[in-house]
Amino acid sequence: MALENVREWLYGCTRCGTCKSFSNIFEPGCPAGERYKLESYYASGKQLIARALAEGKLSLSDDEMRERIYACTGCLVCQQICGVFHHEHIFDIVQSVRTEAISNGFFHPAYAMIYYGLRSEDNVFRKPRNERGEWARDLDVKKATRQKVDVLYHAGCLFSYEQELWHVPRNIVSILQNAGVDVGIMGEEEACCGGKAYEIGYSGEFAKYARHTVENASALGIKTIVLSCSDGYSTMKNLYPKINIVPQFEVLHSIEFIYQLIQTGQIKLKREVPLKVTYHDPCHLGRHLDPGLYDPPREILKSIPGIELIEMERNREKSWCCGAGSGVKQANPELSLWAANERLQEAQATGASALVTACGWCERNFLDAVREYSVNLKIYDIADLVRLAISP
Amino acid sequence: MLDTLRKVQIIQALERIAGSEYVSTNPADLYIYSRDMTIAEPVLPDIVVIPGSVGEIQAILRLANELDLPVTSCVAGGNIGGLTIPLKSGLILDLKRLNRIIEVNETDMYAVVEAGTTFGQLKAYLEKHHPDLMYTYAFSPPSTGIVTNCLLQGLDNLSFRYGAASHWVSGMEVVLPDGELIKIGSCAVSSIWQSVVPFPELTGLFLGWQGTTGIITKMAVSLWPKPEFAISMTFMFMDMEGADKALKLIARSRVPDDLIGTSFALSKIGKLAMNHQKASIFPAQLREPDEPEFIVTAEISAHTEKELNAKTEYLTEIVLTGLKDEKMSGPFTSPSSTASFPMQALPVLSGGGGLMWVGSYGPLSKWLETAKRGCELQDKYGITRSCYTRIMLEGHFAGLRWMLPYDKGDPETVRRIKALCDEQLELVLRTGYVPYKTPVWAIRRLEQLAGTEWVELHRRIKQMLDPHNILNPGRWGAPAI
Repeated sequence: MALENVREWLYGCTRCGTCKSFSNIFEPGCPAGERYKLESYYASGKQLIARALAEGKLSLSDDEMRERIYACTGCLVCQQICGVFHHEHIFDIVQSVRTEAISNGFFHPAYAMIYYGLRSEDNVFRKPRNERGEWARDLDVKKATRQKVDVLYHAGCLFSYEQELWHVPRNIVSILQNAGVDVGIMGEEEACCGGKAYEIGYSGEFAKYARHTVENASALGIKTIVLSCSDGYSTMKNLYPKINIVPQFEVLHSIEFIYQLIQTGQIKLKREVPLKVTYHDPCHLGRHLDPGLYDPPREILKSIPGIELIEMERNREKSWCCGAGSGVKQANPELSLWAANERLQEAQATGASALVTACGWCERNFLDAVREYSVNLKIYDIADLVRLAISP
Repeated sequence: MLDTLRKVQIIQALERIAGSEYVSTNPADLYIYSRDMTIAEPVLPDIVVIPGSVGEIQAILRLANELDLPVTSCVAGGNIGGLTIPLKSGLILDLKRLNRIIEVNETDMYAVVEAGTTFGQLKAYLEKHHPDLMYTYAFSPPSTGIVTNCLLQGLDNLSFRYGAASHWVSGMEVVLPDGELIKIGSCAVSSIWQSVVPFPELTGLFLGWQGTTGIITKMAVSLWPKPEFAISMTFMFMDMEGADKALKLIARSRVPDDLIGTSFALSKIGKLAMNHQKASIFPAQLREPDEPEFIVTAEISAHTEKELNAKTEYLTEIVLTGLKDEKMSGPFTSPSSTASFPMQALPVLSGGGGLMWVGSYGPLSKWLETAKRGCELQDKYGITRSCYTRIMLEGHFAGLRWMLPYDKGDPETVRRIKALCDEQLELVLRTGYVPYKTPVWAIRRLEQLAGTEWVELHRRIKQMLDPHNILNPGRWGAPAI
């Protein structure tokens, strides 16, 4: 999306500042703004930058100015709080400036790595394509390209290549199989969903992967795709239709599916998991959706014997972002870790011994922040706890 | 603008004071801090600095004073009237990091807050920790600074009872342009910030001066007991004569906490905004023949339902009896408008990036003439009638303005607004209304009206406190730039 495409929204913001804090609790909402405090890092500042670029009053050639545009985690707190007519397009404006930067030949090195990774290996890490299915190498799970399956589990780039997170897709497959679901995977033939390309401004690559995902699933006769990657989930559910690519299959996040299976009695959570936890709502499962998936994860946690769930002050639609989104993890790791640590501190203040989430990018970033700041807090994906509760 | 060598030296000095990450000369920052939501002409600052403590502010002002470096302070970013536009460039002193609520004194009913504390923050804090107390709120976003609102003598939802926001300041800590730190009020002689009397009222050296005489770093503001019951009572008038009578009548009842009047056409714009649609004053929203001209709303609170009923009954009775010959309807009751916090300003923030007004305080005796003519001027420019008034201090004066949410990207709207505001300024000055949160162009006009002695007194006070004219130069007390 180029600046030209968002022109009608460029004059929405008065820079009133309402979007800086969550309504009613007035706790900080914007990670970049809170970290750097300069107005240019808040959503309102970024919109003014976009306006100035459109009017020719600022130039994208300034590296530090582009850093401000890249320092947006796409958490959509601003969009959720703002009530002005352009509010649903605030991130579109940020994204359009990123696209404009690329069009003008300004490549962020970290984003270039993602881009070339996609171009050469169909993943955002530039890892070998033939290693994409390694996470499931020893699992007895169907290959959807060879056998017809009811449900396709799409692991996504992060869960496929981050070995430390393999427990998540492995647990999900195990849980679904245990519940009697006919599930399959694509393995090394799976490709990126394209969501990251969209967020960092590579609109063309995004469209390419959106088309590929939808056409491929249709060709295989897939009726349902389940993801535990919340970015991938909201990409398929929200972003594909934005460019008129409408999936002909049902898109479910694993927490939705697990919750359904608990309700139908296909998943029985019997074993006690004695743990005091707090739940972090990933932005892509909350503000990116309408309505957000706020209740299913909480209901799942409440269904597990022994789990005590304590809420953080900023929860549900007022959840503080983990800091990893929209390429910030790659382009500005310092901001990313800072935001994660803010959340870890908030989690610790509840008295919980573990933070549970349902997003690989959140989990990755929290794990890194736990190490960086020596925080005494366990990090779990919700699937880990479900798996514990149904074992052996 | 500063020359390069001098600028580098100043940046290095500022970085030593505030830390390099809180000092910026990036073109994006300079651009953003150069303008506000009004039609005020932008001026680029040289450097933006965001101090994190009073000590850092003192050090920055010492440096600026030594180098004759202009300093313009700001808090929230959502500024108006060009008040934070650095007319002589220099430093922008962004105070948002100083945002602690230092103390809430439950018994003496005040809060001590730092310069960057916002209405939203204080409201949330009181609800959590002191649920029996409340602060007022401004007709502005929740990100608005409490100290700046008092400094600029704003009108708030308890202004009918207590006057302009500067009236409930009960103590201040100020950094003077030479870096000296002073306290004003009882806090100067004790640990309690309950009052600025019985002393010479030195608050007057700073309140209303738009940051041209000192940087207020802490302020004590009054809190009030929070009533359990609240309601809005609305009356609709087919002409402004009826509204004028109602405002005067209700003001003398001493019943409401807040008494507001708005053009009906403005409420039509507000409805668009609340539905997330663009809501610009141009082209004009016209009044249909069966639609009222003006809405008068009284906010009423009480500690018991019985008290609330008695108040609403009394108000209904005096209005229906006293205004029986007027073309009106009502009362219509609805939940108190405090319930719309924090989005109460949304209707005037949805015009397309711009909000402008000629705001003024003046006598109730001249309200009808001023409000009516102001609306007629809006007709002349094809702009929606958007009068907004708040009766202050139980009718001793009134706040009066015409809200102009507008599209900053539309040159024709901007042209009309400029011309309209010029005429509305002359109008209010003729009828005895005085512009508040005074833009620099209105200051110059007031100086012409007030005469030499008045101007000289302001100059002497400014000269005494800020001999190098570093604080927000070009505004109150200082010559034009």
